[in-house]
Amino acid sequence: MTRVVVDPLTRIEGHFRLSAEVNEQGVISDIQSAGMLFRGFERILLNRDPRDAARITQRVCGVCPTSHAMASANALDDLFGIADQVPKDALVARNIIQSLNMMASHATHIYVLWLPDIVNPAYRDVLATIGDTGAALWKELLYRFAPISYRLNGVSIPPGNAYLNAIKEKKRLQEAIALIAGKMPHQMSSVVGGVTYRPTVADIGKLTSYYHHVMDFIDGSTLGVDHRTWLDNTFRASSPQRAVDFLIEHLQELVEKSLISNDFSHVAGWGDIDLLAAFGSELIGERYLGLPVSFKFDRSGGYSDPSKIGFLSYGVYYDVEHGDGYDPLEFGRSGFQKAAFITGSFEHKKFDHRNVTEQIGHSFYVGKHNLHPLEGVTDPVRNADEIDYNGNDESKYSWIKAPRYDGIPCEVGPLARMVAMEEPLTMGLINMFSKNGQSAANTFTRMMARAQEMLLLSDELLKWVSSDLDPNGKFCVPTDLSMAENSQGIGLWEAPRGALGHWVRTGRDSKVINYQMVVPTTWNASPRDDLGVPGPIEQALLGTKVSAVENLLGIDNANPTGILHTARSYDPCIACAVHTIDLTKKLGNASRTFNIV
Amino acid sequence: MDRRTFLKVAGAIGASAFLGIYHSDISNAIEISKTKIVWIHGAECTGCSESLLNAENPDIVQAIQKLNVDLVYHETLLAQQGIFVDGRLAGTSELNSEILLNDAIEEGGYILVVEGSIANGPNGSGKYCMYGERPFKDIFKKAAENADMILAVGMCATYGGVNAADSAITDLMDFRGVSFLKEDPSKGMLTELGISKPVINVPGCPAHPDWMLLTLAAVILGKIRVPDDLDAVLDKYDRPLVFFPADHTLHDNCPRRGFYDVGKLDTDLSGDGCLWKLGCKGPYTHSDCALRKWNGSVNMCTQAGSPCISCCEPGFPDSSSPFYEEAEDKPVLFGMNADSLAKVGVGTAILAGAAHAVRRIVVDKDDEKEGEV
Repeated sequence: MTRVVVDPLTRIEGHFRLSAEVNEQGVISDIQSAGMLFRGFERILLNRDPRDAARITQRVCGVCPTSHAMASANALDDLFGIADQVPKDALVARNIIQSLNMMASHATHIYVLWLPDIVNPAYRDVLATIGDTGAALWKELLYRFAPISYRLNGVSIPPGNAYLNAIKEKKRLQEAIALIAGKMPHQMSSVVGGVTYRPTVADIGKLTSYYHHVMDFIDGSTLGVDHRTWLDNTFRASSPQRAVDFLIEHLQELVEKSLISNDFSHVAGWGDIDLLAAFGSELIGERYLGLPVSFKFDRSGGYSDPSKIGFLSYGVYYDVEHGDGYDPLEFGRSGFQKAAFITGSFEHKKFDHRNVTEQIGHSFYVGKHNLHPLEGVTDPVRNADEIDYNGNDESKYSWIKAPRYDGIPCEVGPLARMVAMEEPLTMGLINMFSKNGQSAANTFTRMMARAQEMLLLSDELLKWVSSDLDPNGKFCVPTDLSMAENSQGIGLWEAPRGALGHWVRTGRDSKVINYQMVVPTTWNASPRDDLGVPGPIEQALLGTKVSAVENLLGIDNANPTGILHTARSYDPCIACAVHTIDLTKKLGNASRTFNIV
Repeated sequence: MDRRTFLKVAGAIGASAFLGIYHSDISNAIEISKTKIVWIHGAECTGCSESLLNAENPDIVQAIQKLNVDLVYHETLLAQQGIFVDGRLAGTSELNSEILLNDAIEEGGYILVVEGSIANGPNGSGKYCMYGERPFKDIFKKAAENADMILAVGMCATYGGVNAADSAITDLMDFRGVSFLKEDPSKGMLTELGISKPVINVPGCPAHPDWMLLTLAAVILGKIRVPDDLDAVLDKYDRPLVFFPADHTLHDNCPRRGFYDVGKLDTDLSGDGCLWKLGCKGPYTHSDCALRKWNGSVNMCTQAGSPCISCCEPGFPDSSSPFYEEAEDKPVLFGMNADSLAKVGVGTAILAGAAHAVRRIVVDKDDEKEGEV
C-alpha cells in the first residue's frame, strides 16, 4: 500500500487535500477529501442589517459571487415579504446576470482549470504508443490546451490557443454582467426587491453583441459545428438515443477523415468538445469509433453503489412567463431548470428541503449531529493539537461538513441539473454507459454535462435579453428595513457548481439573528458521515486507477492523474464549502433557532 | 519618465495606454531582466485572481510577455499540484507545485504577491488555513523572508477584509493582513513574524486589474524604486496614492454627481439620482473607480445604481456597514451636513463650490497627504 496525498489540489478555488491509499494494482482503495481552511463566514452576518448579506455573501467565492448574491436576494425577498411583487423585468435581469456568470464559470472551469490536465505528460507517453496519429494529436492538444507558464522537460510551452481565447470570452461575459450589474467579481445589482439598475435600449443592444461574440468563440473553438445545429440535434433531439446517435455520427465523420490525414485541427472540423468526446471515453472512442487509444475518463470517477449516492438540484432561473413575483417556497417547480432529487439509479423524486441534514462526525466541529442546517449548533475545534489533517475513518479530518439528503450523499452541479431537466444528450450518455455496465455518472459525463449546460444556456440568455427584458419596465420594489422585523426567509438557487441555499432569520430590530448557507462543494467534497459513508468525491475516487488511462503504462504514484481529473471534474470551490458556522449556542435561547418553514 | 510623471500618467489612463507610453522600454523588454512573481493564496475567494484575468489591453498574458515576467507560481493557473508519496514530495517541479514553490522561495529574488488573509489561529498555530501539509502562515513566512518586496492584493491580504470582520470568533480565527489588520499596522502578519519587507497594498474587493498590473508594471520598469520611492507614492495605509488619492474621493467624479449637486437624492433603488440617502459611501472612499470604471470601463457601482460600499478602505466591511443606510455625517462646514449642502446647492450661488466643500467635509483632514496627482 502506498499513501498518495495531493495537497494542494491546484486549479480549483481554495485549499483542498486528497489523501489516497493506493494498492499494488494501482487502484485507490481508501481516500479522504478535506477542506483545509476554516473561515467562519456566516458569523459576520449576525447582528447586521440583513440587506448587507447580498453583498457580503458574495465574498465567499469570487468565481461564482453572482449565485450567492441571487440566493441571498431570494432569501431577502422572502424575509421582507415581497417575493410575490418583485417586478418581472427585475427577474429577467437577474436571470441574465446569472446565466452570464454560469457560462463564464463553466468556460473558466473547462478551459483554464480542467483541460490543462489532458496535456499532462502521461498522455504524451500514451499517445506515443500509436505512432504518427498519436504525435499529431498530442501536438494539437498542446496547441489548444496548454496552460500558462507550462514547461515540459525544461522546454517552455506557449499557452494554448483555446485556453487564451477562453480567458478572453470569460472576460467578455464578466464585462456583460458589469454592464448591467456594476462590476465583476462581486456584482452590485441584486438587492432585496429586484435590481438596482435599469438597463437601457443601448444596453440590450450591447448584451446582444456580447452574446454574438461569445457564440463566435463557441462555434469557432468549442464546437466543430454551428451551435444551432448542435443544440437542434442534442438538446432539442426527439429522444436521448437520437442525441447520442447525432454525437457519434458526427464524430465518426471526423474520425474517418483524420485517421488518414492525421489532422485534428479546427480546420478539419474538430471542436474542443469533439476531441474530448472522441478521445475522452473508452466506450465512444475505442468501441464505437474504433480509435486505437482513448483517455478512458468514463472509467474513472464513477459510483460503485447506487444506493449510497443521489443527485440534487434546487432549480434555477425565475419563470418570467407569468409576470411579476415568484414563490420562494416553490422555487424550482417552474422556471428553466427544475428542482429534483434523483436516486443513484436515476429515479426522480420530489425535492423537499426538509430532508437535508448536516453531520459533523468527521469534520472539525463539536456539537450535535445530524441536524437540519438551520437547527445546526456548530462550534469549531479550538485546540490546535486536535486539528489533525491526517485523520481517517475513525477521526475528524476536514472543515467541510457532511450534508445528506434523506441520509444519502448527493452529487450537485451541472450533471445533476442536466439529469433533473432530463436533457437528452446527457440522458443518452447515461443510458449508454448504464447499458454497458459502467457507472453512468463518471468523469467523462460530468465534463460533457458542464459543456452542454454552457451551450444550452446561450439560447435562454438570448431569449431573456432580446424578448423578455423591457427597459421601460419596473426593476425594484421599494422596501423598508422594518419590513424585516421578526421574519425569516429562504433562498434556493443553483451556483455553477450546484445547489445553493441561503436561509436568514431576523429579530425585533430587523437585524440578522441567524444566517445559514448550504453550498455546493459542501455536498460534493463532504467527508464521511456519521455512518462512515464517504462523500461523493470520495466515492468517485474509490476504485479509480491512480495513473493515466487505467494504468496503461504502469503505476506512477508521482503523477496521479486519476485523482486529479476526477476531483477537478466536480469544479470544487473550497472557500464556499468551508463557509460554515453558526454559533447559535453562543446566542443562547431556543427562540433564536430557525424554524423550518 | 520620473516618478511624478508616472503618477500623472498612471492615474489618468488604463494599463494599455500606460504600456504604450513605455513602448521604447517594452520593445527593449529583452533588456528588462526577467522578473519572477510568486503569487500565493491564503484565506480568500480567488476574486482578485478572477479580476486579474479580466485585465484589458493588455490582458494578463500580454502583460506577462511585455514586462518579461516569469509567473513562477500561481495555484489557480499553473499545471502543477502538490504531490506527496508516502509522506515525501514526489516527482519534479514540472508536476509538483510544492517542489516548484520550495525551489522558487529557496532561490529568492522575486516579487511576492499575496491574495488572501493569513490565518494565525487557533492560538498562533495557523492551522485554520493549510496547504502543502503545512500552515499557510509558515509558507507566507518563508516566502516573505526571501522576497524582494511584497504586493498585497485585495482586501483580505491588505487589511483582513471579510475574514477579519467583526464577529464573536474574529479573535479566535485571528486572520491578518500582510502588514495591517484593518487600520492597525502593529497587527499585520509581518510584524507578528518580525519580518521587515517593503510592502505595497492594492486593496479593493476585488482589486481592480489596472491597480494590480500598473503597480507591478511601475515597479518592474523601475518607475517606482523600491523601497526608496515608497514613502512618496504610498498613503499611510501603503496604498498607491495614484489610485487611492488622499485628497480625492469617488464622490468627486461620480457619474451621478450632477444629481447630488441639484439635490436629486433618491430614496428608492433602481432610480437614476444620487445614492447618498440610500447609503452611498462614495464621499468617504478614496478611489479612482469613478474615472477608471470596471470591466473594460463599461460601468461602476454607483453608475449601476448601487451605493458605493467603500470596498477599498481598510475598515471594510465594518466601516461601511450597513451598506444601505445613510452614513453618519462627518464634520460639518458652516453648520451644514452633506445632505443639506446638496439641497442648498439647488439653484444657488454655492452650487459651484458645493463639490469642493463636500469633499473638504468628508475627507478626514488627518488622512491627507500632499497629493501627487
